[in-house]
Amino acid sequence: MRKHFFERIPVCLYILLWCSNTPLFGQDDSIKTVLLNDVMITAEQKQTSQQLVQFFRYNQGATLEDILSRLPEMSLIRRSSYGMEPTIRNYSAGQVNVMVGGMRLHGACTDKMDPATIYIEPINLENIQLQTGTQGSLKGSALGGTIDMKIAEPVYYDDNRVHGTIQTGYQSVSNGFYGAGILQGSHGRWAYRTSGTFRMSDNYTDGDGKEVAFSQFNKVNATLAARYRLTDYSFVQADVIADDGWDIGYPALPMDVGMAKARIASVSYQEHDPSKIRQHNEMKLYYNKVRHSMDDTKRPDVPIHMDMPGLSETAGFYATTDLKFSPGNSLLLRADASTTFLTASMTMYPEDEPPMYMLTWPDNRRNQGGISAQWQWQADTMKTLKVQARLDAVQSMLTTQEAKDHVSVTGGNTNNRFDLLKNLGVQYVRKFRNNRWLQASAGFAERMPTASELYGFYLYNAFDNYDYIGATDLKNEQSLQAEIGAGSTRKKFKWQAAVYYHYMFDYILGEVNPDYSAMTIGANGVKVYTNSGNAWKAGGEASLQWQMAPLFAVVSTVRYTYAQHDTGDALPFISPFKNITSFRYAAKRFSVQAEYEAAAAQNHISTIAGERITSGYFLTHFRTGYVFPWGKNLMNLQAGIENIFDATYREHLDWGNLYRPGRNIYLQIQVGF
Amino acid sequence: MTFKNIFSLTLLSLIIFFSSCKKEETNANPVTGLTKTGSGFAVGAATKVDIYTNTAAIQSGFQKFFFVLTDSITGNYIDDAQIKLTPMMDMGTMKHSSPYENPASQKASNHLFEGSVFFIMSSMGGTWTIDVNVLNKLNNKEGKFTIPVTVQEPAQKRMLSFTSAVDNTSRYFVGLVQPSKPKVGINDLELVIYKRQNMMSFPADSALSLTFEPEMPTMNHGSPNNVNPVHKGNGHYKGKVNFTMTGLWRLHFTLKAGDAIAKADSLDIEF
Repeated sequence: MRKHFFERIPVCLYILLWCSNTPLFGQDDSIKTVLLNDVMITAEQKQTSQQLVQFFRYNQGATLEDILSRLPEMSLIRRSSYGMEPTIRNYSAGQVNVMVGGMRLHGACTDKMDPATIYIEPINLENIQLQTGTQGSLKGSALGGTIDMKIAEPVYYDDNRVHGTIQTGYQSVSNGFYGAGILQGSHGRWAYRTSGTFRMSDNYTDGDGKEVAFSQFNKVNATLAARYRLTDYSFVQADVIADDGWDIGYPALPMDVGMAKARIASVSYQEHDPSKIRQHNEMKLYYNKVRHSMDDTKRPDVPIHMDMPGLSETAGFYATTDLKFSPGNSLLLRADASTTFLTASMTMYPEDEPPMYMLTWPDNRRNQGGISAQWQWQADTMKTLKVQARLDAVQSMLTTQEAKDHVSVTGGNTNNRFDLLKNLGVQYVRKFRNNRWLQASAGFAERMPTASELYGFYLYNAFDNYDYIGATDLKNEQSLQAEIGAGSTRKKFKWQAAVYYHYMFDYILGEVNPDYSAMTIGANGVKVYTNSGNAWKAGGEASLQWQMAPLFAVVSTVRYTYAQHDTGDALPFISPFKNITSFRYAAKRFSVQAEYEAAAAQNHISTIAGERITSGYFLTHFRTGYVFPWGKNLMNLQAGIENIFDATYREHLDWGNLYRPGRNIYLQIQVGF
Repeated sequence: MTFKNIFSLTLLSLIIFFSSCKKEETNANPVTGLTKTGSGFAVGAATKVDIYTNTAAIQSGFQKFFFVLTDSITGNYIDDAQIKLTPMMDMGTMKHSSPYENPASQKASNHLFEGSVFFIMSSMGGTWTIDVNVLNKLNNKEGKFTIPVTVQEPAQKRMLSFTSAVDNTSRYFVGLVQPSKPKVGINDLELVIYKRQNMMSFPADSALSLTFEPEMPTMNHGSPNNVNPVHKGNGHYKGKVNFTMTGLWRLHFTLKAGDAIAKADSLDIEF
C-alpha cells in the first residue's frame, strides 16, 4: 500500500538529516520534527536566512528576538528587554511586513511595544521566511521586505503515542526563568500539537553593574494546532495562539505595559501534489485581536496618572496556488484581503478636575485586497529569471464621528482614502560551476502610510521627545531598488553576499510644526508627519557557513547600511557595521561554541530625529551543550556565558540612555519523550 | 470539497461579514431634549405659552429660551406670533433689566420660537421675572403675563462683565453662547457682547474686537487651528475653538476697542 504523503515527511526528513550529516543543524532530537516542513517550502534564493535561524535556535533559551537580531538583514529597535521591533535592512514599521503564518497582525500599541514577533516563541517556529526589498512583495506591499514566521505544524507519527518536550532555563543577569513544553501526536487522520511557554524576568543589570529599573517582564504563551487529513494530498488545519504579557517594563519609555493580550486564530486548507501542474494550493482564513494597556502606576514622579488602552482587530484570508508548468517554468499566484480596525485612547486623571480623554489612534479601519504573482523561468540549468508583481487596493477610513472630530482639529481630511499600491520586482540568477551563482535584481516598491502616520493624534515619541500628529494627505512612500549578489552553496562551504541601493521618494518623516503646542508635559514640541522629499539607502550583507572539519563549523555574518536624505541629513535608525561570528564544535553528545559580536560606532546620525552617536562594542559569548540518555529519553543540558567581559554597551537602535545587559550566565535543560 | 468551492465560500462569507445596515431615526416632538421652565396664559391673546430651555437649569449668562404657543381653547399650535420679552431683576431697593433677544422671527420653526435672556446676575441678589408679551397673529390680539425664574450660578462662569479699561466708563457684558456641548474636535465658538446704556437698556455691541487663546491649565498646552470670533450681527461673534481632549480648558480672551485693550480675562470650559 502506498504510504500517505504526510506520513512520509518525518521519515523523509530523518533520511535527509541523516544523509546531510551536518551536526550543525540537527543533533537535537526534539528539533527534528520542527525542521519538517522545510521539505515543502518552495525553493527560495534566501534559504540562507533559514539555515542561520536553525543554527542560532540551537540555544534553547534564545528568544525569537535573539535569533532575529543575528540575521544579517535584520536589526531590532529596542525599547525594553522585551518586545523589540524588527527592521529589515533598517526599514521599520509600515515599511516592512511582519507576518505570522502569512497572517497580517497589527500591534495595539501606539508606541509599537507589541510587534508581531513577540507572539511566536522559538519552540513554535517552523521557520522564518525572510525576503528583502521587492522580493518580499508577494505577501504585501512594502519597501523593506517581508518576514513571515511560519508556525510549527502538527506531524503524523507512526505510533499513537504522545510525544513531547519539556525545557526550562535560568538567566543570571535578570534572574529570569523560562519554561516551555510541547505535546504532540497523531491519531488516524488527526494530528495535533500544543505548546506552552512562560517567561518571567526581573530587572537586568548592565555592564556597569547597575540595575536597569523597569526592565522586567512576564508572559505566557499557549498554542494549539490540529490537522485533519482529507486525502493523501490535502488537509485542513486550525491554529490558535494566545499570548498574555503583564507587568512589562519599558525603561526607555515613560510608561510600562500593564497588560498585553493577543488572540490569533486561523483555519487553513492545503493541497500538495507534486504530480499535478497546480502542485500546491493553500488558503487560510484568520482573525486576530490584540489588546494592550499601558501603565504608569509603578513609576515615580508621574505628573498625572494616565491610562492608555489600545485595540487592534484584524480579519483576513489568503489563497495561494503554485503552478508548475514544467520543471523550469512555474507561477505562484496569491490573492489576499484583510480588514484591520484600530483604536487607542489616553485618559489622564488630574486631581479635582474631570478626566482628560482623547483618542490617540482615532477609530480607524483599513480594508486591503491584493493580488500578486511570481513567475519563475529557468531558461536552462544555469539561468533563472524571476518576475514578481503585486497590486494592492487599500481603503482607509475613520469609523466614528468622534474619530473624525479628532482628525479635523489638525486640519485632516476625514473622508475615506483609497490607494492603489504597485510593486514590481525582477531578478536574474546566473549559476556557475561548483554551485556558485550571481544574481541581479531591480524593482519598484510602494507602501501606504501607517495608521499613526495618517491619523495619529499627539502620539508621544520618547526617542526625540516630540508629540507626533498624522497627516491624512500623505503620499505613499515609494522606492526604486537595485541589488546584486553572489554566493556559493557548496556542501561544506556556503557563502552569500549582496549589495543594494534603494532610492526612496516621498520619504515619510516627522517635521516640527511650531504652531502646535505639545500635549505631553515636558515634550519639546509637535512634529507632523510629512513627505519630506527623497532619500537613499545603500548597504550590504554577507554570511558564511563553513564546515571546516566534520565536527567544527564557523558561521559568520556581516551587515552595513548607509542612508541619507537628499537634504544631506542622515536617516534615523540605521545600524552601523556589525559582524557576528560563531565557532561551534559539535560532537555527538558534546558541543562548545564561542561567539563574538562586533559593532562599529555609528557617527552618521540624524540629529533631527534626536539621535546620538553610538560607540562601537565587542562582545564575546561562550556556550556549551551536552546530550545524554536519561532512561529511555534524551536529555539536553546547555550552559553558557553571554557578554563574558561584562562590556557596557548599547546598540544604535536602542531607545533611551540605557545600556544592554552585562554578563549573563545561563543554564538550560531539555528533555524529550 | 475542492479548492474552488472553498474559495467561493470564503468570498461569500467575507461579503456577508462586511456588509451592514444602518437605521435612521426622526423625531417629531418639538420639545424633546428641552427642559420646561413654566407656562402662562397671555390673557387677551387667547394663547397658552409654554417656556423651555435647552439647559437643565437657568444659569446666569446667556440663556436661550424656547416658546411653544398654543390656542388656549383648541390646544392647536400657534406658529404666527410676535413675542416680546422684558427681564427684570427686583433687588428690593432697586430694579434693573438685562440684555435679551426677542424671537427674531414671527414664524415658529417646528412650533418653537427662540429667544434669549442674558442674566447678568443670579437670583442670589433678588428676584428675576420675565414679562412675556404675545401678539397672536392668528387673531391679532395681544396679551401678556409675567413668569418668575430662578437663575443659578453655573459651576463654570459663562460671562464676563467689566468696565472698559479704555474709557473707564463703558460697561460691557460678554456671554458665552457656544460651545454649549463641547467635544473633542472643532467646536463653534460664539460669544455675545452687550453694552449697558442704562439700567433698563443693554443694546448689542459690535465695536469691540475679540481674540482668544485656549489653554489646558493643568497640562500647560493649547490647541491648534483656532479661529478668532468676528462680529456676525446683533452682538454675536462667531469663531472656532479646537479641543484636543476632554478636561478643563481655559479660553483667554482679549477684547479691544481699536488697538487699546478694553479687557483681558478668561472663561473656563470643562467637559
